[in-house]
Amino acid sequence: MSVSLRRQVALVAAGCALATVPWWAGDMYQLHLAQLIGAYWVLIAGLNLVVGFSGQLSVGHVGLLAIGAYTFAILAGTHGLHPALATACAGGVGALCGLLLGLPSLRLPGFYFAMATLAFALIVSEIILAQSDLTGGGVGLAVPGFPAPFDTPQGTYWLILLVAAVVTWLTWNVARFMWGRGLIAIRDSVVTAQAAGVPVFRAKLIVFVFSGLTAGVAGSLFGSLQSYVTPDTFIFELGLFFFVCIIIGGRGGILGPLVGTSILTALPELVAPLAKLGTFFYGLLLLVVVLLVPEGIGRLFELALERLRPRKVESAPVRPDLERLSAAIRKGQR
Amino acid sequence: MLAALIAGLATGALYAAAALVYNVMFSTSKVLSVTTGHTAMLGGVFGAWFLQTWNIPVPIALAGSVAVGALFGLITDLVAIRRVLARSDEHLWLLSTLALATMVQQAVALWWGTEPKPFPRLIPQGFSSGLADQKYWLPVALAAVLAIGLELFYRRTLYGKLFLAMSEDSFAARARGIPTDRIRALSYVLAGAMGGLAGFAAGQLTFAYFALGLTLTLNGFIALAVGGLGSNVGALAGGAALGILSSVATYYLGGEYQQTISVGLLMLVLLLKPEGLFGARAGRVV
Repeated sequence: MSVSLRRQVALVAAGCALATVPWWAGDMYQLHLAQLIGAYWVLIAGLNLVVGFSGQLSVGHVGLLAIGAYTFAILAGTHGLHPALATACAGGVGALCGLLLGLPSLRLPGFYFAMATLAFALIVSEIILAQSDLTGGGVGLAVPGFPAPFDTPQGTYWLILLVAAVVTWLTWNVARFMWGRGLIAIRDSVVTAQAAGVPVFRAKLIVFVFSGLTAGVAGSLFGSLQSYVTPDTFIFELGLFFFVCIIIGGRGGILGPLVGTSILTALPELVAPLAKLGTFFYGLLLLVVVLLVPEGIGRLFELALERLRPRKVESAPVRPDLERLSAAIRKGQR
Repeated sequence: MLAALIAGLATGALYAAAALVYNVMFSTSKVLSVTTGHTAMLGGVFGAWFLQTWNIPVPIALAGSVAVGALFGLITDLVAIRRVLARSDEHLWLLSTLALATMVQQAVALWWGTEPKPFPRLIPQGFSSGLADQKYWLPVALAAVLAIGLELFYRRTLYGKLFLAMSEDSFAARARGIPTDRIRALSYVLAGAMGGLAGFAAGQLTFAYFALGLTLTLNGFIALAVGGLGSNVGALAGGAALGILSSVATYYLGGEYQQTISVGLLMLVLLLKPEGLFGARAGRVV
């Protein structure tokens, strides 16, 4: 069985397992958890290209999520637009805000950029509170669900799964070809990337705008899952959570952050004492990972796999033809 | 209007103090620590705890708050900075200090509660003194004392000169026999103590509030970036400018867009003069 065939089988098996979750999930709460993981993943998959691949530490994507959710709520709820169209608009508005945020802030060095995104998240919640005619202010806004066939919990789950699969496929296509290499080069050394002809600012801006788009779409999914949004839904700690999922899963991969998202979303819900600690637990996990395995938890699995099944090292010993060599030397000496 | 100016100056002085704390840590390690604002938050919260729950006299409570800040500075260096600098990956210190800051903030939220609690009077004074109230002039006096003290420390003492040597060139300082690890730990202790003092002095203005840390980290950084990274005069000027601008804007526009305006100031300065008002332009070593 070749590696690529094995990978395809694993992919199909994972797809089947995910698609049938509504039947084997224990209760509605677990299904809701799966929906939540999917909605988060739509955002994190886009953010992963920014944080994990191009190394721009954005902690403020919760602002873009809020923008998406409120756009969806206002268009589909207040103005009665069709939810599919409203989702598309939420993605567009998210991408536009990503562009507006990225244009000035992506030129800044690391810490400045992180602070700019943090400030962006705070500004968004400030504006939501201030524009109470539009957003309902601190009281909040009801968010409509999706129409049939997506109005049941199962239907919503499949819709989210579909969107998540498409976004994952898109990011995978970006990651494995020239773009992904270029982004990793930017992360590891900007000067080298520039010298090798990577358009640094343009590449960073494009993936940032893409992450804004996925954040907007994720916002509309997240909003209709919550069915009611207030500014308190989009606290800064949520942005930190997205960021921690990627760092813990491992930078420069897609599977690592996916596993990180699933575990970090499900763990505090299933283990009650962790829910109380909440953000403290995320901080602790981030600290441990950064200090002990900066490559992410995924690296630990790789190491364990290698221990179990050591990689075969092809050895190609060089055997010089000694007689010919000595003959040639003798000939040269003469 | 005068009230807005004075309140803005007081808030700005607190931001300037946070910017000075950034500067002290930056001078020896070239790290901008996310925990900066949290040292001041700890100073305020522990000050209120000592004074109100334990009824400790003010001077001892002050010493206690400064000690808590200094201890937190030392922990920051030991946990989040030392190992990370040894690895020399420039993203990692941002992550480790962010993690530590989050943990401290949440721990305080769990222990102290998420409501802002009032900070008792430090000096006996009525509540009718208006603009001469101690909550306005204490932070301003503190920022001035911190800046002058820091300047004297850098110019007059051996350890201050070691700090300067490390901020110029850490490798060269090490080659001349300076124990750079110990000096860096010392600078974090000093920064933590300064932050604790600032949080204690400004407690009546900000209240003892767990989420103060993140706001102060952001606004102190804006003050620092506006004034110029590494410059103490710039930190004072940037802090005052930021505080006065946002409170005057609040006076005219209402309090809803405070954060937007302060970030607008940051973006404007970064576009026009990227090194800040008093900063030195950094050349790239090729």
